[in-house]
Amino acid sequence: MKLSTKLTLFITGSKLAIVGLFVLLLPFLVGQIAANYTNFSLRNQQKKVLQNINNKGLDYYLEGEENYGSYTMLKDEYIALEAAVPGLKLDTIRDTKRIVEQDTLAYRVLSFTFQKNKKNYLLEIGKTTASINLYNDALQRFALYVLIFLIALSIIIDLIFTRQLIKPLSQIIKLRLANTRFPFKKNPGNITTSTYDFKYLDESLISLMDQINEAFEKEREFTANASHEFMTPISILQNKMENLLTEESASETVQEHIVDMMRTLERLKKISRSLLLISRIENEQFSKLEQLEPQKLFNEIAEEISHRMEEKNIHLQVNLNQQIKIKNINHDLLFQLFYNLINNAIKFNKDNGTIKITDGLEKGNYTIYVIDSGFGIKAEAIPYIFDRFKKTGHAENMGYGLGLAIVKSIANYLNLKIEVSSSPEIGTTFKVTFEKTLSLHTAY
Amino acid sequence: MKVLIIEDEKTLAFEMEKFLKKAFFLCDLAHNFKQGFEKLEMNQYDYVLIDLGLPDGDGFDLLTKAKKSNPDAAYIILTARGKLEDRVAGLDMGADDYLAKPFFLPELQSRMQAIARRKFKVAEELLPLGNFNVDLQKRFVFFGEEQIELSRKEFDLLSYLLLHKNRVLTRIQLSEHIWGNFVDDDYDSNYIDAHIKNIRKKLNIYAPTDWLETVRGVGYRIKK
Repeated sequence: MKLSTKLTLFITGSKLAIVGLFVLLLPFLVGQIAANYTNFSLRNQQKKVLQNINNKGLDYYLEGEENYGSYTMLKDEYIALEAAVPGLKLDTIRDTKRIVEQDTLAYRVLSFTFQKNKKNYLLEIGKTTASINLYNDALQRFALYVLIFLIALSIIIDLIFTRQLIKPLSQIIKLRLANTRFPFKKNPGNITTSTYDFKYLDESLISLMDQINEAFEKEREFTANASHEFMTPISILQNKMENLLTEESASETVQEHIVDMMRTLERLKKISRSLLLISRIENEQFSKLEQLEPQKLFNEIAEEISHRMEEKNIHLQVNLNQQIKIKNINHDLLFQLFYNLINNAIKFNKDNGTIKITDGLEKGNYTIYVIDSGFGIKAEAIPYIFDRFKKTGHAENMGYGLGLAIVKSIANYLNLKIEVSSSPEIGTTFKVTFEKTLSLHTAY
Repeated sequence: MKVLIIEDEKTLAFEMEKFLKKAFFLCDLAHNFKQGFEKLEMNQYDYVLIDLGLPDGDGFDLLTKAKKSNPDAAYIILTARGKLEDRVAGLDMGADDYLAKPFFLPELQSRMQAIARRKFKVAEELLPLGNFNVDLQKRFVFFGEEQIELSRKEFDLLSYLLLHKNRVLTRIQLSEHIWGNFVDDDYDSNYIDAHIKNIRKKLNIYAPTDWLETVRGVGYRIKK
């Protein structure tokens, strides 16, 4: 899951949880507040009544009667003053029921006893619970709406902010990691952020990439230099042997030995040349502006390689159906790539075997398949076949393991994708995929 | 034919000289830019072989200068750099050919001969070969008036052997001539033998080909 999605989910989730809790508590809280407020107003009324009694005497209420009682019109509130049993002491506020003119009503009642003129009196002030809780629902609903609005607002703000906050991360990924092919470009753009962590991450990545580039550069330089430096001594040895071979004093045996030495030297020469080619490809010393028709390319390769196929009586079927031209490519390198693949298909083929070349479109990308009927490659060997000097070896004299390394570096350079599938004893298929930008449909 | 070999690697220069002498070239050696320049000022050569990597100057510079003092000479650039741009630049600057080191000496000689055919317009008759005649320019083999079909590679092989007649050429020398220094994963193959077999088969229909000798353990030779 993406970090932004996770953050969004977390923020929304935690807010909803808190809001949920609050909503659950809301009736209780509102009830509590209403009760407290009622208590407070009951006490106020009590104070007012006592004040009146003190100032104006009991008769202000009793008017000579034993009891006094008064209701509001809708019986929402009442006040009662009566003589109480001597010794009764009360000062409470509680919910209780009262029968008022045949109606049983729930009241919150303040009961208070006091002494006046050496007599005990009980004062009751009541308020119906219905009137107390009259506004609770409305209040709760209002609170809920306000809350939902505020939460929604804060989630939106959070989303915008987190998105803004973690934007540099996706920039770093996009700019530094995704779509970057090795070797990495120098100065691939700046990332502006005031977040220290992102700055640190970006700087670390840049320095890491620089280190990798440097190591790669060194290896490349070494390969190029080493294979170059080999060329002169190889030249000298080779030309000396050639001259020695034509020497009249050289007996047949000596000549044969010289030819043996030349063959060994040839091997050294080819290894050096292959390494040099790889380093030249990696140094991007080839143009990528050519166009070619696959059919013509395979005709050329077939002509070049026919003698190899004749040795093992291998049949090459080139069956290309797509009307396509390959563009932005280097002819010689693509030639070398398929030459090596076909050469490989010959080497690891059985006598009288076949090699099929077919093509197709996969998700709109032009694809060429090189399918052989050879020994196949063991599954555990497949990840290593493109490594330099790696021999998947079946028989001796199969070359020195640079053919596929060259294929790999050409594919990298030309932006081609190579996939291998193989089943032992049935054969191997190399699939070469060209990006859309590399193919050109031609209508005949 | 006079050849100036400008090559800082002395052993290599000596080996080239030794080989070319046997093919009746007169050789002069220079081991650096200065010597090369002096010799070019003083003498006229038919061929100038220039190594690009000279210790005291750029081979391309020398080529430009040499073209002034020896305008009629044929120039071949020799280099271990082997870069494509060098090749293009060299040919642009008026070099006649370009050989990447390491090269085989018969290859050098055949390139020189090819330039001679092109540049000095050496009128070539049909080259006799046993009972056959070979037209190197038009790339045909004739038996009397009859033209014999050889594949491109077969003809290349035959003409290369013919150019170096009486000299044994190894399979490696032959295959490098035919397939170039194309980077190839194999170092041993008998495809040269297959081609030779085909040539013999095609020509034997008309006349014996005993002039095409197999030198056991070494290679092939055309003997005349």
